[in-house]
Parts: sequence; structure tokens; C-alpha cells
Amino acid sequence: MRRLAATAAGVLVISAMGALGACSPPGGGLGTGAGGATASVQTVRLGAAADSAGPAPAVPGARRGGVVVDLEETGLNHLDPAQVYVNREQAIGSLFVRTLTDYKIDPRTGRTVLVGDLATDTGESSDGGRTWTYHLKSGLRWQDGEPITSSQVKYGVERLYASFETAGPEYLQTWLSGTDYRRAYPGPYGGRSLPDSLVAAPDSRTVVFHFRAPHADAPYAMALPAASPVLPSKDTRTGYDQKPFSDGPYKIKSYQPGKEMILTRNASWDPRTDPIRNAYPDEWNIQLGIPQPGLTQRLMASAGQDRNAVSLVSSADPTQTPTILTGPEYRGRTVSQYQPFVDVFTINTSRVKDERVRQAIMYAFPMKQIQITLGGAAQGDLATNLIGPTVTGFRPDDPFGKLAEPAGDPAKARHLLRQAGVTHLKLTFAYANTGRWQDVAVILQKAMARAGIDLQTKAIDATSYYSLIGRITNTYDIYRSGWGADWPNASTVIPPTLDGRQMSDDSTDYSHLHDSRVDSEIDRIDAVTDLTQQAAQWEQLSAYILRHDTPEIPYLYDKYFQVYGTGLGGVTYNPAIGTINPTTLYVK
Amino acid sequence: MLRFLVRRMLGAVVILLLISAITYLLFFTLPSDPALLSCGKNCSPQNVTLIHKNLGLDQPVPVQYGEYMAGILFGRHLPLGTCPAPCFGLSFAGNMPIWEIIKSRYPTTLSLAIGGAAAFLTIGVGLGLISAWRQGKPIDKIAGSVSLMGQSVQIYFIGPLAIYLFADTLGWTDPGHDPDWSHGPAGSISGLILPCLVMSVIFWSNYSRQTRSLMVEQLAEDHVRTARAKGMSAAYVFFRYALRGAMGPIVTIFGIDLGSILGGAIITESTFGLHGLGQLAVSAVTQTDLPLEMGVMLFSAAAIVLFNVLIDASYAVIDPRVRLS
Repeated sequence: MRRLAATAAGVLVISAMGALGACSPPGGGLGTGAGGATASVQTVRLGAAADSAGPAPAVPGARRGGVVVDLEETGLNHLDPAQVYVNREQAIGSLFVRTLTDYKIDPRTGRTVLVGDLATDTGESSDGGRTWTYHLKSGLRWQDGEPITSSQVKYGVERLYASFETAGPEYLQTWLSGTDYRRAYPGPYGGRSLPDSLVAAPDSRTVVFHFRAPHADAPYAMALPAASPVLPSKDTRTGYDQKPFSDGPYKIKSYQPGKEMILTRNASWDPRTDPIRNAYPDEWNIQLGIPQPGLTQRLMASAGQDRNAVSLVSSADPTQTPTILTGPEYRGRTVSQYQPFVDVFTINTSRVKDERVRQAIMYAFPMKQIQITLGGAAQGDLATNLIGPTVTGFRPDDPFGKLAEPAGDPAKARHLLRQAGVTHLKLTFAYANTGRWQDVAVILQKAMARAGIDLQTKAIDATSYYSLIGRITNTYDIYRSGWGADWPNASTVIPPTLDGRQMSDDSTDYSHLHDSRVDSEIDRIDAVTDLTQQAAQWEQLSAYILRHDTPEIPYLYDKYFQVYGTGLGGVTYNPAIGTINPTTLYVK
Repeated sequence: MLRFLVRRMLGAVVILLLISAITYLLFFTLPSDPALLSCGKNCSPQNVTLIHKNLGLDQPVPVQYGEYMAGILFGRHLPLGTCPAPCFGLSFAGNMPIWEIIKSRYPTTLSLAIGGAAAFLTIGVGLGLISAWRQGKPIDKIAGSVSLMGQSVQIYFIGPLAIYLFADTLGWTDPGHDPDWSHGPAGSISGLILPCLVMSVIFWSNYSRQTRSLMVEQLAEDHVRTARAKGMSAAYVFFRYALRGAMGPIVTIFGIDLGSILGGAIITESTFGLHGLGQLAVSAVTQTDLPLEMGVMLFSAAAIVLFNVLIDASYAVIDPRVRLS
């Protein structure tokens, strides 16, 4: 609790990530201080055209060569950039797929800036933020040496409409053609192309997007893998999901799903076009499906080939956390940083209608005990806000004083229930029937009992969990969910989770909040063209929702916490997607 | 003999059909929607509808089951692509045919099963025979204690311990990795030694105790005593008469054990980071890849049923009376 307060307060004084340089290990890497699990709040800003020019700034002490081993707990569901939407696929994919924009991370300070990747800058807007123009750099080539052109970027966007592309983000398609975008255009395989009035490629290096409404954060959307070119002659449709064609510094040498991927150098990649990727290692050996706690033990032991091992995405096994935090041998090779995910307990507002009752639940909520059960501060810091620390505009306010009473304040909860005239309140808590949530259910039940709330627990089969809580007629009052920002703007947090007009079965508005003021504010803020102003207004709306509607109880700002092998340098962290940044790594 | 085998095979087919029907019903009539599980983070209702169509989930459950079973025999044409026979459907991960994934994992499981079975059969039966031969003597007591210890420990305990001791500290063996027989046997065998030996511990303890108990029982039988009275050597009687009588139950247990290992040795594979069927089953569950879960489960069930048929056939060889029944 104190750690979060201290860290958050520090953010307002120091510039984002500025403190990381002070506790970086030799070689320009990133690490934590003696506290180990302390994370810093990071703010991503838009870079200028000069930031987008390649090559990437050299990492002090880095050298070319060697093989980096990446150990990941789970496999990759998708490699097709149109299908990629989770951070492990984004992080690994950034080695062989380039996007119009991307995040550039300074290896000395850890400061993160959005820059043009394939594009010369983060985009020029016109028409009040509806039209966005991108110019491609010269010298961009595919792995077979063929030049990358704007029509291939347009083709990549057209593929997003195809009937088999169902797992990726839908921002570009819906911004261009509305929510029922497949009815407007079925994809490029019938011989039709998107009209120039939506996406135009007037010359080989210019691509122009004409959105239906202003979208100030289009530069961030262009950093998603969906905004990458595809070479039509190499498009194998569904097969592209196993073997995409590379335009990054590495190409896929071999891939066995769920098992292993070997990446080798792509000779056609020109570092002078790339402001982000240093690409020091000769090869990447990505080992998938490595179970815990073995994965963490291998990184801790750092023996043999694991000397050059890292886990871009998989956090440390919670049972190993105390050893990592106290072992001097791990100091200087431990990373502890915030991820874009905020874990919440959702209150079903269509059943718990009185906001005073919802606030009583908030006061009674034992966030500290739950944090400990889920692995302690190394896994996540106590959260008091719906917007996480990686999102621009984050403010560490605490309207319910949860940091002062992290175990819950049953007296205040009882007082609110009395005010609401509620006696013998009986609620149902639904949870996925796994060990960790069974433990949480017991803790929650006891805490609610102290506040006079009779909490009935309902275990749900883990595979059915989201299907059942996603039903608008579900019969549960409280359930756990969580959300990660797609980019560091709350436009990817508040509208998908709290816009009451989107409420339907299987939607992500799990709280069923329907506040007309919130809905109209979402429309108004979405149209603000200045991102700084927009961020401040999202924060105000988030604070209003939490204080006034209390549809969710935030409890953890998730963290990435892991050690890496002793043979690696240049380890930086990408706060926008919440993974180790693979582009600056080198083998010592 | 042929009639015997045909009868057993038909029984196995019926059992597999029943397993498939029950499994299918369990998976696809759960409240969970496979389309939702396959869809992306911010899944729109339009995408859910499209995935239903792509996966054939817009059909009634009996029709889906019929098409699924027909796909195993003849292959299927799905909106996402062709799935050649035996088609167990497409995985949510990359829409890959499940049979392709199982095929890529099976060399690891098969290698582990063969190596492990060789180890536990040799060590377990060997220890049991020594105990029975020298019953009541110190070596019998030592073998009994070792077996009891082996039965008391678990792979997830001795596995990491063995890796730490033999691989990390002493450097005698490889800590375990997937075999790649296309690059020569040496590397593959070195990566399998520790997993096979560790896995064998919990099995050979059981075999040792079973073998000893069966052999002691057999050695007390009238026909064994008669053979000894006729002047046959102790060793000849031990192996020719007593061991043959004890083999039936040992083969039964061996068939069941081998069948279940061939269906995936989940704990061994997880402990040593091997990518076999067991690890595939775990990752299918953790990633809620329902078609993959179902495919692995059916394949494992088929392995167990097939080995039971083989055991029945081997009975007929070991004990001619079985053919008459």
C-alpha cells in the first residue's frame, strides 16, 4: 500500500521512467532497486519525425551475435498480424512484423515514445481528425527483397474484413466502415478493393485513411499488428496464421505450434529504416509451453543456454518471488514493471441497483488479503482507479480511502447499508472454479460477513466462466473480471467496459452500467482531438464513474515480475503492451 | 483366435463410439461457447456469429456430432479450410488441424513411453524376481524397502530433485528435452534418460511388489512342487513354471500402464518441459482450446482401448484357456 502511494506520488515529480536509469544494471539494462518489486509509472508520448528516423540508437556496451532463448509458458494462438491481439504474440511478432507506428524505448532511460516504424512519423491528421496520412520510408523490403508499398498496407487493412479474421482488434475496420463492417466489404478475396474514399494509396509510399469520425489516437491504433502490410502473393489466407512473411529484422526459420519457433536474420531488413529495433542477436530460440515453476527456476539458475534466456511475457512463479526478492544474485537482473491490466471485481448493477449498496461492498472489500493470496506485491500493486498506471492521464486518487483500509472497512460499509435501508443483504459471488479463486471466494465471504453481507459463493467451470458472466440475465451480483488498455489511452478502457449502449450477451460491459451521462461523455471525449486534453477528460470520467456509479472494484494493477539470464544486456520494458522489449536485447 | 480378436475389436469400437459421444456432449453442451473462447479480446456479437458458422457450431448438436465422427473417417471441408482425415477439428490456435498437432507431439510421448516402460519393466520385474528368489533374506528386505520408497514419492518431487542433482550439479545427464530422431539418436536418448528413469520409479515400485507377491504364490503351487520333486533345477522351475504363471497379471497391469502413458504422461512431461500429448492436454485446458481438448482425449482413450485389446490377445498366447472362453 505504502509502496504504491510512494511510487505514484513520485511520478508527478519525476518525469516518466526517469528513475529507472538510476537502478539499471550495467549495460544499460533495466532493473529494480533493492526493493525488487517496486514498479514505476510510465507515460508514453508521441514522438516527432526525428524520433522516427533509423537506425535505432545504439545500446551502450552491446555487441552483435549470439542466440537469445525466450521461455514462454503458453503457446502462440496467432501469427497472422490481422489476428494478433494478445501481448505475447505482439512482443514476439515485433521481431518479424513491422507496423506503421510502434513504441521506441530508450535503453538508457527506459522512456517510451510512439514513433513511425514503417511510416516516416506518427501520421498527419486533417479534416478535424477524420483523415490520417502516412508516408512510408524508402528502403523498406520484404524478406525476399521485394519493396514494401502503400498498396500492400491497404491490402493488409482489406484482409481485416475477411470472414476468417475473427480474433484481432476491430478498431480500423469499425472506424472506416462501422460496426457491421463485413456487410460493407467482404475482404479482398472476391477481387474487390476497399474504395479510395476509405483507404487510398495515391502513390507507392503514401496511404490515407478516411475515418467516419475523428480519432485522435489513430497513431496508437497504427501500432497494433493489424496496421501492417501484407504481400498479396504471399497471402496464404488461413495458412498465414502459421507462417507470416517477414519485413522485420528476423524471419521464421521453423515453427512448431505450442513447442518452438526459431528466428534467424532477415538479410533484406535495412537497419537504417528502423528506429526501434537494434536486432543484436543472430538468432532467437523461442521455447513455448514451458511449465512453471520450471520456467522461473531455469531463469534463476541461468545455466548453460539459459544464461541467455529471458521470458518476454511470462511472469515469475509466485512461489519463487520471495527468493528472487531477497537473493542478491538476482539483483540487477530482475524486472518489475506495471502491465496495462487492471483487475476488478465487477458489481452487476442491474441486480445491485442502489449505489450506496455498491459503495458498501467497495468499503468492505478486502483488497490486501486478496493481493496476498494472488502472489503479493510482486504480482500487482493495490489499485484504486479504473485506469491503470500505464495509461496517459493516470492519477493515483483513492476516493474510498482503500489504501488506508486495505483489509476493508466493515463499519463504514454497515453505515452505508443502514443509510440505504438494507438489512439482511444476500449477494451471490460467482467465480471460476480454480484453486486461486476458491481461496479468494473464502476471503471475500468472510470480509462481507463482517460488514453484515451474506455472500453466497457460486463456483463456475473455468471454461464457461466468461460465457456465463457475459449474459445480461446472469443471476450473479459480484464477479471478477479485468481489462487491459490496447494502447496508453483510456479510450480503449472506458468505452469497451462501461458504455451502456453496447450492453448485450457476450459484450464486455460486465457491470451492465447504463448511465446516460457516462454514455454522452464517452461520445464527447472520443471526439476531442487533443490527446492530452482527452486523457485528462477520460481520467475525470473514470473518477466520476467510480465515485458515483461504483460498478467495479479495482484491486490490482498487474505487474510483470521476472528475472532474466546473466548473459543478457539491454533489457528494456515496453509498458504499452506489458512485456520485455525484445528489440534492444543483446548477448554479452 | 481370429473370432476372439474380431470380438474384442468390435467391443473396442463400441466403447470408443460411446466415449466419443459422451465426450462430445460434455464439451459442446456446456454453457461455455467455443466461439467466444476462440474469439479475440473485445469480441463483437457479429464475430461470434461468424465463428459459429466457421466452426460448424450453427448446426444442431447431433448433426455436429455426426459431421465430427464422419470427419475422423473421411475428413471435412470447413469454411476455414480443408481438414484431411482423420479430422478431429481445428484448433483455436491458428486454426491448425488437430491431427497435425497430435502427430507433432506423438514422437515425444512414444519415446518417453517406450523408454520408461523398458526401464520400469526391467527394474520392477527384476527386483520382484530377486526378492521372490531370495525371499526372507536381506536382499528381499532391501528390495521391499526400496519399492516402498519408490511408491511413496511423486514425480513432481523427485523430478526437480533429479534435475538439480544429476543435471545441474553433477552434470551427468541432460535435464531433459524433446527427442529429435531426425538428427541422430544420441541427442534424443540423452534428453530422455532422466525423464524415463524418473517416470519409471513410481511404476517399478508397483511391479516389484506385484511380481514378488505373484511369484511367491506361484512357487507354492502344487505343479511347481511336483516339478521340483521330479528333480528339475530350482532355476528351471522358477523361470519355466512359476514365472509363466505370474505373467498374466503382470501383462494386464503393463497393458493398462502403457496405454495410459501413450495417452500422455502429464506430470512427467510438465516436470521436464517435454512437449508430448500430456503437455498438449494441459495447454489445451489452460488455453480453453475445446476442440484440441476433445481431440487429445479421444486419442488417449483410443490408445488405452487399443492396448487393452492387445493385452487380451497376448492372454490368448500366454494362457491357451482364454481362447476357449
